[in-house]
Amino acid sequence: MPNEQDLIQRLLKGEQAAYRELVQQYQGAMRAVAIAIVGTASADEVVQDSWLAVVRNLNGFAGRASLKTWLLTITANTAKSRLRKQRREVLLDDITGPHGTIDDARFAADGHWAQAPSLWHTDSPEALLNEQALRDCLEHTLATLSELQRSVLMLRERQALELPDICNLLDISHSNVRVLLHRARLSVFATLEHFEETGEC
Amino acid sequence: MLKCKDLVALSSDLLDGELTLKQRIAVRMHLAMCVHCRRFIRQLRVSQRVIRQLPDQQAPELETLLRAMQAQQQRASEPDQGDSSK
Ligand SMILES: [Zn+2]
Repeated sequence: MPNEQDLIQRLLKGEQAAYRELVQQYQGAMRAVAIAIVGTASADEVVQDSWLAVVRNLNGFAGRASLKTWLLTITANTAKSRLRKQRREVLLDDITGPHGTIDDARFAADGHWAQAPSLWHTDSPEALLNEQALRDCLEHTLATLSELQRSVLMLRERQALELPDICNLLDISHSNVRVLLHRARLSVFATLEHFEETGEC
Repeated sequence: MLKCKDLVALSSDLLDGELTLKQRIAVRMHLAMCVHCRRFIRQLRVSQRVIRQLPDQQAPELETLLRAMQAQQQRASEPDQGDSSK
């Protein structure tokens, strides 16, 4: 990736604008990884420590992995070393958002929709996000998901990581990633549906 | 035959390209016949794009962080004073 090489060269020269670029581009992904491993309360500290480790080790970045993979691996390692042994066991929490999910109650006994999805007034994400109340509502839903669900969703949708990368970073199985992702998506869907139907959160 | 409920259960795997060939065919056949599930999948994709485009909540302490990184970087470029001081 030529742009990446260029950015790394500028970082090695100590160019401040390059550092700013780097942080702005990858901070979100690093935060999602940190939250998934240590929780929200310690995530910012982990991210900060990870950035300092990045600066210390930049010379050693061999370019075998992508820059993003390297940064996220450092973040995961920093987070794990803080975690010590008390890894949370409840991986497959079934926490849903404030507007529920698409569960059995929506289906008849024969497996067909009992309450079919309502038609939204638009299929345009931009149009939907135009409304401040909806943006707030989505933030609220994301905040009520479990930290692991939220992180998996962020890493997949916003950071476009592949599922195997998410498994590796967070030490969770492929099938668990799929379950977490599915639950998070259905909660988001339920929030949008609820907002479209009622106009409020 | 795949039921609507089964289709919803497979919907994330559909989005991520995780379906087996057999599942893919079953899903495609169901969607060809079921308007409700077509709407569900379409709007699920919309909600996926909504999450992608939801504005980022910018970390407030960016400047502090950048200063700390700059300090770290200067330490690193002066040999004998870096990590070995500990
Ligand atoms: Zn159906």
